[in-house]
Amino acid sequence: MSVIYGLIPGMILLGLVSVLIFFWAVRAGQYDDLEGPAHRILNDDDIDDHGSDEP
Amino acid sequence: MSKNNSPIEAAAICHHCGLPAAAASACDGLVAGELKHFCCSGCLAVCRVIHDSGLAGFYQRLRSQEKTLAPPPESPADMEQYDLPEVQQGFVRDLPDGRKEAHLLVEGIHCAACVWLIEKALAGLQGVVRAEVNLARQRLWLQWDPAQVSLSAVIRRLALLGYAATPFDQENAEGQMQRYNRRLLFRMGFAGFGAMNIMWISIALYAGSFSGIETEYKQFFHWVGFAIATPVLLYSGGLFLASAWRGLKLRHLTMDLPIAIGASVTYGYSLWRTLQGTGEVYFDTVVTFIFIILVGRYLEAMAKRNASSATLRLMELQPRMATRIIESGEERVSVRKLVPGDRLLVRPGDKLPADGRVLSGDSHVDESMLSGESYPQHKIAGSRVSAGTVNGEGVLTVAVEQIGSGTVLSRIIHLVEVAQGSKAKVQRLADRIVPWFVAATLLLALLTFGYWLRQDFDTALLVATAVLIITCPCALGLSTPMAVAVAAGAAARQGVLIRNGEALEGLSTVDHVVFDKTGTLTEGRMRVSRIYAVADVNENDLLRYAGAVERNFSHPLARAIVQEAERRGLGFAGTVQVQALAGMGVGGLVDGVQVWLGNARLMTQQGIALPAELAARQQQIENGMGVAVLLAAGGRVLGILCVEDRVREGARELVDLLRGQGIGVTLLTGDSRRAAEQLRQRLGEMHVAAEVMPEDKSREIAALQQQGRRVLMVGDGVNDAPALALADVSIAMGSGTDVSMECSDVVLMGSELRKVPYAIEVGRLTLRTIRQNLMLSLVYNAILVPVAMAAWVTPVFAAIAMPLSSLLVIGNAVLIRYRMNRFFSRQPEVVYQQRLQGGYST
Repeated sequence: MSVIYGLIPGMILLGLVSVLIFFWAVRAGQYDDLEGPAHRILNDDDIDDHGSDEP
Repeated sequence: MSKNNSPIEAAAICHHCGLPAAAASACDGLVAGELKHFCCSGCLAVCRVIHDSGLAGFYQRLRSQEKTLAPPPESPADMEQYDLPEVQQGFVRDLPDGRKEAHLLVEGIHCAACVWLIEKALAGLQGVVRAEVNLARQRLWLQWDPAQVSLSAVIRRLALLGYAATPFDQENAEGQMQRYNRRLLFRMGFAGFGAMNIMWISIALYAGSFSGIETEYKQFFHWVGFAIATPVLLYSGGLFLASAWRGLKLRHLTMDLPIAIGASVTYGYSLWRTLQGTGEVYFDTVVTFIFIILVGRYLEAMAKRNASSATLRLMELQPRMATRIIESGEERVSVRKLVPGDRLLVRPGDKLPADGRVLSGDSHVDESMLSGESYPQHKIAGSRVSAGTVNGEGVLTVAVEQIGSGTVLSRIIHLVEVAQGSKAKVQRLADRIVPWFVAATLLLALLTFGYWLRQDFDTALLVATAVLIITCPCALGLSTPMAVAVAAGAAARQGVLIRNGEALEGLSTVDHVVFDKTGTLTEGRMRVSRIYAVADVNENDLLRYAGAVERNFSHPLARAIVQEAERRGLGFAGTVQVQALAGMGVGGLVDGVQVWLGNARLMTQQGIALPAELAARQQQIENGMGVAVLLAAGGRVLGILCVEDRVREGARELVDLLRGQGIGVTLLTGDSRRAAEQLRQRLGEMHVAAEVMPEDKSREIAALQQQGRRVLMVGDGVNDAPALALADVSIAMGSGTDVSMECSDVVLMGSELRKVPYAIEVGRLTLRTIRQNLMLSLVYNAILVPVAMAAWVTPVFAAIAMPLSSLLVIGNAVLIRYRMNRFFSRQPEVVYQQRLQGGYST
């Protein structure tokens, strides 16, 4: 059972890493627009752009 | 006359924006070899540019999202000014590698297809390094290489695609708001991490309390809980602790106080138990509690779209550059460098840079933004002109009299600032209850402590703490943010944007509604509504003559007539000897026939007799809201074109509905008393305040407020801005100016008037839900506080009861969406249909 003395601090440490990643994401502006990116990924360039003339 | 006389025919859909293309401005055009319908020539032009740029995939993306656009907004005039260094210093940031960076407000972004179109089109522009669109806030973040492309070229490119872009100082406008939101998000994220981890510890402890656990491990788990809860309380909960402390110092009990007491007392008690090494701890409650409250706060902050300030938008109305006349010719100077006495050249279509007096020239100036007057004003030598208004067809030379803060525009800006500062804040229901709640809780805890002290100190402290913990301010703290977030989300789906959570509660208590006239109750656009031709003349022939002459002019009446002729697909004959007679009308030779268009004075001057029947018609039109344009050809009056700004659909039903609910209605307009009275006759009983200067509009609101009324202002123009800012609650039309939207609490995206009662109803429903939520948490307390006072609370009991109350409150808030759908799927339509079937006529 004494293994939990190592495992639980380890768990918290891993959690802290994810918190740091989260902080980075907020700072990088990932949470500024919660609507656009969800649609943007659907907007691939493979829809036939009317006669495929290059933009 | 019945409503059906309007020239609306079979519904065609605009190929670009998807709105009905049946209005007077509709037109057809060839795009990529196919004939398409458009609702206005703006849409046609935009569609052609999109096709010519090879970006036609935009339409496929658009349709796949089942969204409609709005017709393109007017693009900003005089874009070159944004390239000048002295103008750029306000909003452009220089990057170390010589590139530049700016944030732009973009008008006209509706959906993801717009994002794609803008990013794709700008990516094709040489020198644009980075262009990212923020859909939620309609911003463009731009980085470019000034050596290869100018900022004005980018803005012009956007204008061609149908988006109006203005650069702005992002840090100044919304830096504070953004920093607050980020701080909230950081704290929420950290509390979330704490909540997830402490949950495992709790599970272990609960399992241990049922199946037995060695004291050593139990102690260890307690200390781990302590290690997680401490930073969460200090960092995430610090927001509440600090705000509660500030409130206490100001002797002002806010919602943050019970939250701070609840969290810190629970924490303190748990810490004490941990140190003693006996009993149960509630670190998990502290952490989860803070997390859930922060989620509520964050949702509420998201519902608030308070991005840029209204005054910022107002400043944008004023051009930044002017053309000054000097001895050696003319020069372009920054508006800031102008001094009274300078002479300025104002070309057709330019905005006036300063207040002043016309020295020479003859033109019409569109002052609708300042005065609300729907017709352009005729300006000749000696007339006064105001900064920010738009010059019409002629060139004007203007002597500068007022600059900077002395202009009419600046006075409006000042009024808006004053009104926003003095606006009566809607007092939230929760804020009124909280002080009592806090006082009662503390008192009960004290009483309990005193009672149990007779037994022993330890028990007394334990039971008193239990009272404080069990009162669970969590449900109370969540009741408002959850309801606001859900209601704002559901309303947004109906095209009603709630920009301010407090406004929802304010809407429910409104007992007086003030409407602006032009652009709010009316469409704000001149159209040919009826044509009266003499017996032997056909309507289309009449219109063909009229269109042939009028298409040489840009006056709104002329534009309305030409649009109607184009809408009916009439061709125009060639016109020669076109002339305009100031104050009377226009004339020209069409196919060799002399045609005159204008008022009765013109006919008298030309010696053309007006038949009695048409004279009566003319009188009837002019007694109404319209303008009667007489048409004579070959020395004979052939008929009358009635041009008017139509009353918006549903305006009368809206006024009836409001009055039926006992809500007072006022019409507030800068237009003439006669025009206002006409509208009143059509819409039913209401108070009318006409010929009100923009500066006085807010005074009317203040007067109503002094009578104890809770005022809702509905408007659309720059001149409404101070009134919108001052009213208890305000609604802006989506077709209106950006300034009016920034001043308002609610924006109607579709400009449909029937969304006004909808918004009021959403407010009532939200308030009712908040009230129910508060009741729920009070009932919960009424049951559990006595239990706690009697020292009957066991840890398991508390663990079940406390989340239950929060869940009830959250669940009830989520129900708003269903109640709203249920209510609005029947209610307004039923009311409207009943009225329509009643078949009143105007």
